[in-house]
Amino acid sequence: MVKRAVRALIMGLVLCAALAPHAFAQKQEPQSVVEDVLQRGVLRVGFSTFVPWAMQDKNGKFIGYEIDVATRLAKDMGVKLELVPTKWSGIIPALLTGKFDVIIASMGVKPDRNAKVNFTIPYEYMGMAIVANKSVGELHSLEDFNKPEMIISVRTGATSVDVARKFLPKATLRMFDEEPQAVQELLTGRAHAFLSSAPLPAQLAAKYPEKLYQPVKGTITKEIVGFAVRKGDVDTLNYFNNWIRMVDAEGWLAERQAYWFESVEWEKDLK
Amino acid sequence: MHKRKELFADVALILIAAFFSFWFLWRTRTILVYHFDWAAVPRFLVRSTEDGFAAGVLLQGLMTTLRLSLWGALLGVVFGCAAALLRLGRVRFLRWLAASYVAIMRNTPPLVLLFLFYFFISTQVLPLGFVEESLRDAPEWIQSLCAFFLAPVGSLHTFISAIIALGAYEGAYIAEIVRGGILSVPKGQWEASSSLGMPRGMQMRLVILPQALRVITPPLVGQLISTIKDSAIVSAISVRELTFQGQELMAATYMTFEVWTMVTLLYLCLTLSCSLIGRKLERVIAKNMGRDHPGS
Repeated sequence: MVKRAVRALIMGLVLCAALAPHAFAQKQEPQSVVEDVLQRGVLRVGFSTFVPWAMQDKNGKFIGYEIDVATRLAKDMGVKLELVPTKWSGIIPALLTGKFDVIIASMGVKPDRNAKVNFTIPYEYMGMAIVANKSVGELHSLEDFNKPEMIISVRTGATSVDVARKFLPKATLRMFDEEPQAVQELLTGRAHAFLSSAPLPAQLAAKYPEKLYQPVKGTITKEIVGFAVRKGDVDTLNYFNNWIRMVDAEGWLAERQAYWFESVEWEKDLK
Repeated sequence: MHKRKELFADVALILIAAFFSFWFLWRTRTILVYHFDWAAVPRFLVRSTEDGFAAGVLLQGLMTTLRLSLWGALLGVVFGCAAALLRLGRVRFLRWLAASYVAIMRNTPPLVLLFLFYFFISTQVLPLGFVEESLRDAPEWIQSLCAFFLAPVGSLHTFISAIIALGAYEGAYIAEIVRGGILSVPKGQWEASSSLGMPRGMQMRLVILPQALRVITPPLVGQLISTIKDSAIVSAISVRELTFQGQELMAATYMTFEVWTMVTLLYLCLTLSCSLIGRKLERVIAKNMGRDHPGS
């Protein structure tokens, strides 16, 4: 029996060794992604559901700020848009392994992410905000939440995790794969506070006034958001950077941001 | 007297069940602050468009789950039979190969296998980029055929990674089921057919397999139904099947309870109808095989 297991193990190792050269020889594509996209006639955009940046409406169509940006980008490039909904936790590996051409998913620029991908210039600014369950009492500073007995719910892999570690190093973090799970945890009171990108915390506090409140109004941090592309592709970076400058100068970005982040008109499309 | 006792137990059980469902509802209202909105749910199944009706978000997911499970099960049966026959074969190297395949697949979490396959092996080994390019240039009807049987061209690569991972994983279990079935046939059957001068392939095909089939069918059907359930893990690599669609819907609408109740019901519909078909199939096979080989 043991002998057989050892044999199986050896066979496995041999198999791995046979596959390894392929696996480690990551193809460095010298060609630019923009060239590829124009030739193919299809732009593949990776993103993750995140209200109101990107979400499915009641007909199963994707809508949101990021979707508007991606749609306009594809239109200006003269190609078809292909949206690739992807789990947030695996979105960078998926970009690196070529499942799509660019991430347009309100991804904040962070040094550790930047070591893996290249970012364009910002096309949006984001801030983290906090919303708390009323059961914790009337607290009015972040420092009040910086205690081991405070449970903060956040989404796995989001910048809110870093913000929580920086501003609330002593608090207990509870991480979830999707926002609604983190919010549900807050509503039931199992988590005392929830950290996420504005305007979601403010919208939640307005939706459940009898349960939730914002201990600190406004945003705690400000972060820059760019498209993420595979590393070392100057042509594509230049193309996207200039496209962002163009639509920004037009005032189009500001107008879309006002629609998605300051109004709630879009909520009627959801249910 | 006995009857009355039974009746009492039934009533008590019903009361307990009713109590728990009321308690659950009360909790969702007061403690979870959850507002049920069942009116929005039918739209997730079927939605009306300008020209009639179309599948809603969840029904689309169910169709993808169905496609995934069918291809995954088919691949699983192919992998499984091949591995079982190799393990029982005469070439030592192939025996080891099949044994290590079964051992590795059965001793690794399926999610880990899936990630390994999706991020690592599929991009390096499967030359699908070329297929995708040429399909994009193909006429409309070929593209819609591909979308109907597999997945839309854009998500073909992910879909194929998913069915291969699923097939490889289920295949290892099916291999053991098939091998067990073949080994369950008494040695005398081999010897008898050998004494009739049949070559090994013919013994397997005409004598052993038909008898093994009766043993194999029930667990095999169970494993195939298991494939439907296991297919939920490929939501982790963003294949838009039922579970993934449920997660997306939950993220957009925050209707956690309604969405997961619907997803559960849809899975149950699928698996329960499959087990009904499976039971019929078992009966048919048991009847036919029983008549042919009354001795064993």
